[in-house]
Amino acid sequence: MKFEKTQRTPLVEIGSSSCLIKGECYPENIAEWSGPVLEALKKTLADANTQFNVDIELYYFNSSSAKFLFDFFEFLEESSEEGKKIRINWRYRAEDDTMLEAGEDFQEDITACEYNLVIVEYASEE
Amino acid sequence: MEKNKDTLGLHTFMQDRKTLFCYSGPLTEDLLTTISNPVRHQLSDKETEETVSKRVFGVFIEQAQNIIRYSTQKTKSTGDSIGTIAISVAEDGFLIEAVNKIDENKRDVLEATLVELSVADQKALRQMYKQRLRDGPPEDSEGAGLGFIEMARRVKHFEFNFVESEEGALFVYRGWVS
Repeated sequence: MKFEKTQRTPLVEIGSSSCLIKGECYPENIAEWSGPVLEALKKTLADANTQFNVDIELYYFNSSSAKFLFDFFEFLEESSEEGKKIRINWRYRAEDDTMLEAGEDFQEDITACEYNLVIVEYASEE
Repeated sequence: MEKNKDTLGLHTFMQDRKTLFCYSGPLTEDLLTTISNPVRHQLSDKETEETVSKRVFGVFIEQAQNIIRYSTQKTKSTGDSIGTIAISVAEDGFLIEAVNKIDENKRDVLEATLVELSVADQKALRQMYKQRLRDGPPEDSEGAGLGFIEMARRVKHFEFNFVESEEGALFVYRGWVS
């Protein structure tokens, strides 16, 4: 399942054992955008019986999207507590303190999933 | 002749105060989508440090969405929110300014929130942000209730005040990013 990126929403690619979110996130209506994404993720994760990798590489997100990310992680935590093996990679650019801090903030509430902060050397905006 | 003087005056005024971008009128999400890229180009033209221009852009987006959600001055036909938002080059960075009409009844709550944010240090702001994320949005919020905390985290310093006008209370915001 693929959600193409738009000017204000990131690319989302959901495979049988992975989920990638990459780009920028400041949509007009976060619930409208995130609803189908979460729905697709829930369906995929329900069938996943191996390790599930979630890669998130955002360059900018607004405060409404922060709430989505919080709920997104909460869902992954619940799934992990129910027995799913989930690894989250929060990818940020070396000089991007804002995204590093955001990654650290989300990390605080994550105990069941494996969670890594990963520096990306170069990230294209594409 | 007088009108011509005004037009030139507007241009000179904007140039002299180094305003990169200014919009005053009905603000919609569609318009925000349209102006996002030009605003970014303006910023990257003036600022070589990407982290700084990203902070400016972040404050700009939050405040633009504040106007869209909370301005009480609306267009007659479509009910779009009216306000003013601008970005200018300031002494050692950028100044983001905004003005919009607000609901008189919400003034005290807004004032108390902003006073609290204006005296909080980065560590406290980060804590408040996390707490708000966990607690969820306050009752009268149309977003996540995080906007002003996010803005306070990105600016070096901000000021605000309320001005009584004939049409009601105006909220005036000024935030500096460097």
